[in-house]
Amino acid sequence: MHDSSRSHDLGELSLDKLVACHECDLLMLKPELAPSERAECPRCGFELFSYQPHMLGRSLALVIAALLLYVPANFLPILQLRLLGQTTEDTVWSAVAALYESDLQGIAVVVFLCSMGIPLLKLLCQLVVLLSIRWDVGRGYGLLLYRIYHHLREWGMLEVYFMGILVSIVKLLSLADLAVGTGLACFICLLLVQVWLEITMSPHQVWEALSRGRAHASH
Amino acid sequence: MRAIDAGILVCPECHQLNRREENHDGLQCVRCGARVHARHPNSLGRTWALLLTAAILYIPANLLPIMTVSALGKGEPDTIMSGVVALVQMGSLPVALVVFVASILVPTFKLVGIALLLISVQRHQALSARQRILMFRFIEWIGRWSMLDIFVIATLVAVVNFGTLARVEPNLGAVAFATVVILTMLAATTFDPRLIWDNTESDDDHE
Repeated sequence: MHDSSRSHDLGELSLDKLVACHECDLLMLKPELAPSERAECPRCGFELFSYQPHMLGRSLALVIAALLLYVPANFLPILQLRLLGQTTEDTVWSAVAALYESDLQGIAVVVFLCSMGIPLLKLLCQLVVLLSIRWDVGRGYGLLLYRIYHHLREWGMLEVYFMGILVSIVKLLSLADLAVGTGLACFICLLLVQVWLEITMSPHQVWEALSRGRAHASH
Repeated sequence: MRAIDAGILVCPECHQLNRREENHDGLQCVRCGARVHARHPNSLGRTWALLLTAAILYIPANLLPIMTVSALGKGEPDTIMSGVVALVQMGSLPVALVVFVASILVPTFKLVGIALLLISVQRHQALSARQRILMFRFIEWIGRWSMLDIFVIATLVAVVNFGTLARVEPNLGAVAFATVVILTMLAATTFDPRLIWDNTESDDDHE
């Protein structure tokens, strides 16, 4: 075929001039990106990478904000229900505890991991990775933690949990006297900050920063 | 041209390119140290195994009650479907629709969709690569939303807790349902989307 020679050339080029799509394995010349630009695979449309200006500082600020919100979001009351003079409260943590006291501990573990455990681990991984880049220490651990972060990524389900709270509110409205608590506001803020953080912390920039440090160290 | 044809392997975790070495199967990524394979090892077999387990558990997940709402000592078990019906009867159609989509439509669509992807890769045919990659991305993205009902149960169990007056308790169906969601999410990660493109000839258009 006419382009087999060109294909051959592509394979001969140095690896840092190339990029391959993670989802369809198409091999391409690496594009140069200006700040705020993003590159997509021409064949399948997968985002190859995006370039976020001031990635490090902005991500650090967002991680710290998220960690500060984490405690009130999980331990302040989200809903309060009044029925014949009795009041009950729901926090993310008390939901886990209540499930654990029923005879289905497995469900309690799943809910704990998806709503509290994994979101916290993700934030801590991100914090350590960003600090290791900023202070130029422990990049090996940074790489390991960032790998762990990518495995945990889709198992943190704050936005699904938020939807679950909304559905519960609708179910309870007709039954009893319902009030929303400050915990809900904190939870929504945590959710928004976390989504913003995931957009800001562009993976390819983080990987490059982590590997650059290691190359320096080994010389 | 595919990276694999140029003897280049993409790291599954950090997407770094690695040159394939001769007579070397278990390559380690030069950047992050993860194991690098041309394609996920035994992707089809693993995905089938997870998918079939999920399909079997899908039956108790839908038939067994997921929670019991008891008021004044009188308990009423709820299955996933009866929860949706109750929401319709309360008149909150939009919410009923959200729960119906998340708890019934999505898990069913995922089971069928992943099976279709596997079959089309194994038989080298049917849907176009673009249709299949869109389906795969949709399945991968939507999977976690099926956990919705589990979080509703968690919230209700915590807040509706008035002793004999009114209480909500989780039931075995919830365990089966959560397991189905987790298994189908795992099935989406073990499936290697690059297999979709491996048996198409449309490479040449994009160099």
